[in-house]
Amino acid sequence: MNPNLDQIKSEILAVQTSPELEDLRIKYLGRNGLINGLFSKIGEQPVEKRKDYGQQLNTIKKQIEELLAIQSTKVTTVDTLVQEPESLFSLPKVGHLHPITQTERELNALFKKLGFSVYDSPIIETDEFNFQRLNVPLDHPARDMQDTIYINEPTYLLRTQGSTIESRLLSQQKPPFRCAFPGIVYRNEKVNKSNHFIFHHYQAVVVDKNITMKDLIGTMDLMFKTLYGPSAIVRYRCKYYPEVEPGVGPDMQCFNCNGTGCTLCKHAGWIEMGGSGMIHPNVLESAGINPKIWRGFAFGMGLDRWVMAKFGITDIRTFLGGNLAYKPNIL
Amino acid sequence: MKLILSHLQQFLPDLSYPPEKIRDDLSMIGHFCNYYEKVEGEIVFDLDIKVNRGDCLGYYGLARDLSVYYNLPLQLPNTIFSATNTNYELPIKVTSPDVTRIMSIKISNVKVGSSPDWLIKFIKLHNINSVNNLVDLTNYAMFLYGIPSHAFDTTKCTDNIIWENNHGKTTNFTTLDGTILKLYPENLVISNPDKVLSTDLVGGKNSGITDTTTDIIIEVAIYNRVRVRRDSKQLKTVTEASIRLEKDLDPDTIPLGFNCLASLILKHCSGQISSSLFDYYPQKTVPPTIAFSSNKPSQYSGIDIPSEYSFEVLKHLGCTISDSLVTPPSIRKDLTLEEDLIEEVVRFWGYNKIPTNQPLQYEKLSDITPKILSLIELLKDNLVALGYDEVRSWPLVQDNSNSVNPFGLDNIIRTQNSINSEFPNLRQSLITSLLEQIAQYGRYKLPKTQYFEIGKIFYLDRQQKNPYQEKYSVALYHNNPDTLIDNIKTLSKRLSINLIDQKPGLFIKNGFHFFEIYLDHLVELPGLISTPNMQNVIKNSAYELTSQIITLDANVVFSEKQDPQQLLQTYVAKINPQYLWNLVILDVYEDSAPKQFKYTVRAYYYNLDDKSAKKLHQQVFSGE
Repeated sequence: MNPNLDQIKSEILAVQTSPELEDLRIKYLGRNGLINGLFSKIGEQPVEKRKDYGQQLNTIKKQIEELLAIQSTKVTTVDTLVQEPESLFSLPKVGHLHPITQTERELNALFKKLGFSVYDSPIIETDEFNFQRLNVPLDHPARDMQDTIYINEPTYLLRTQGSTIESRLLSQQKPPFRCAFPGIVYRNEKVNKSNHFIFHHYQAVVVDKNITMKDLIGTMDLMFKTLYGPSAIVRYRCKYYPEVEPGVGPDMQCFNCNGTGCTLCKHAGWIEMGGSGMIHPNVLESAGINPKIWRGFAFGMGLDRWVMAKFGITDIRTFLGGNLAYKPNIL
Repeated sequence: MKLILSHLQQFLPDLSYPPEKIRDDLSMIGHFCNYYEKVEGEIVFDLDIKVNRGDCLGYYGLARDLSVYYNLPLQLPNTIFSATNTNYELPIKVTSPDVTRIMSIKISNVKVGSSPDWLIKFIKLHNINSVNNLVDLTNYAMFLYGIPSHAFDTTKCTDNIIWENNHGKTTNFTTLDGTILKLYPENLVISNPDKVLSTDLVGGKNSGITDTTTDIIIEVAIYNRVRVRRDSKQLKTVTEASIRLEKDLDPDTIPLGFNCLASLILKHCSGQISSSLFDYYPQKTVPPTIAFSSNKPSQYSGIDIPSEYSFEVLKHLGCTISDSLVTPPSIRKDLTLEEDLIEEVVRFWGYNKIPTNQPLQYEKLSDITPKILSLIELLKDNLVALGYDEVRSWPLVQDNSNSVNPFGLDNIIRTQNSINSEFPNLRQSLITSLLEQIAQYGRYKLPKTQYFEIGKIFYLDRQQKNPYQEKYSVALYHNNPDTLIDNIKTLSKRLSINLIDQKPGLFIKNGFHFFEIYLDHLVELPGLISTPNMQNVIKNSAYELTSQIITLDANVVFSEKQDPQQLLQTYVAKINPQYLWNLVILDVYEDSAPKQFKYTVRAYYYNLDDKSAKKLHQQVFSGE
């Protein structure tokens, strides 16, 4: 007997795809595989050694099974239908957009109708554009609101907020302008069912003469009613963000308890929906825009939770975790 | 922060609104109230205090705001403390430049014991443990006025107290609760000539108040908030004191807190004042003078707010007004610009009076949408039309053999401090992400997949001023390599450019075929069709896979030839869509004698276990 278990082990652990793993399973545990071959030789053993021989083989078989099972969780599994025959007939094939993309497009469409462009900026940012130009100097307590992932501390980081795109926009474009921008942002947080270190933000910025809080609140309310329906109740209250002054916080009346208080809204009756306000004069000035002439507003919100509710997704990791799927044909 | 209504009423005796109204009003004027609850006969509000309102980390600051909002008189609690005529001057030294103001005094013959019931309840409702009457009173004074205070047992530490930066004097420091902190040279500490007694964040065991304490020095102080914030981060210590001291606090409020604390100690712990008052305040703060136009609140808000109202609010807040120049009260460190004053006026006037139904109207401005975004949307539309599904994945990837690194291992960009440390690198290729997608779909036994991702890839280019480079990329996977090539050709025709020639192009990894190209430079290629179409909203369902897809075949026989589409639709109608993932016909076989048509139908079920799927399958295809 004496199969070389170390060699078998290294063979199994070297495998990277499921077909290769299946080949090894057949080689060792298949009907005509090594182990069955050795079992068939049990009769050739001396009578007094047959029991030990059988037990040893069973132990080796079990070890190989365990190794295969462990490796099966690590290998890249081949798409099941790769080995399947092509179907003769199927219902019409259709592709799909990711739910986050669908929502971003819905919002882009809304803002396009109001004359907005769409904007973008780098994901790897500098402290200057992520914080300082947004009125958050070094050692400002507001930095605690966002745990930062650094590439090269203290200068280079992964952007922590959609407002970073705003600071690029302000520095690159001359007013007047209206821009909306979806953007992925990063916070140094543990990943679990309800929290992620990657968030999808959506933000809008307007800079023009004579922009008012009424413009801001009316436009934001239009966005909420587009997303949540005309019966959504939103209140606008005073809130602090370093990059705006005055700051405005939109809260939506909790759709679970209609404002009476429940565990979803932590008994507040309201759910915080994002942040907004009139762009702080320091922010405009740092971008070379004269705040005596130009005023603007900015608002932003996270998309993840809303998209989860809309698509019936219960785990925030699903968006980027590989288990989000679409029915392949029109049923 | 917790706010107990009965203690707030010390400052606002006429406050009699129901707690629901107070909760909502606090939120509207900027102090978001999560909830209020009735605990041990007290109404307790739970508030989120804005980081720029350090003054509202005390009852006094919140009462000032509510007094303006409700137009109620503000009253300070009575104090019995007054300056003493003792000649003894405390030998306190201050060598640190990080001290803004200290008020301190010695009290002798105090009696330390249990706190009165009202104080125990107050302390408990603020989620801290009652220690003894003296320690609890220092905390009480801090909660009332928002400025931390501390008491030293002078029998243990003498009166020779020094505020200094550590200068490497002591490396280890034991806090009141026994935690050992390793101090850094720059930390702000309170020492005597022999040892460190306290840090700016937390007191030390070696000078702590116990039941045997008789002589004490109390102090109320404010420090350079940057120093406190850095110490807090360096020492990994967050306390009620550090939360407050790292904000911009008002040195001119210290006398209020100090008098309150001294009075309460004299009242509840007996004792006599045994030193003159020590007041270190080297550089008095001067509030800014701000030019303010009373029509600005209307201009900013977009609604009419009378000028008289603006001035009335600012006066009630404690501002001094001379012509159009406004000097805010020293406690309001957040008021430095005209816009800050505008916010004050508008928040008290009420954000809820601003109409919500008047959004911006359409205005034609030049479209500054970058071309790359239009190209991305065009690609997405075309790929969806070719039957591809869009996936999104983590841009951070593992350090393993599945990682595809076309720019070289030396040029991987790594994160420095991600707590998700198993994923330290920014991807150099979307194929790394698609490989993981294949593995995930494989685990769920998802049939016949084809998908794409469009996103950023990252690499180091040390020749650039900013070496951290990123660019957009699109990557496709199809379970059938031939179809993948055909699709790229189709896409090339639709975009009027030859995509096959683009970099990095076709790629085989682990036996799977991919296609990836960088996008940024494509927008500059002549002939590219990239009509912006950002309004094209496609709506479709998506599913969160929680169990494997179960594949089952059925052979069904008919005496006549069937229309395959109709046949599939017939079976689709029989299966609850909640369980049916897909349905295809694999094979059709025609028998001549007797004449019959055999169809092999393959059904894919989800949201079902094996047994339930087989049962449903039999019901649908065998009529059982």
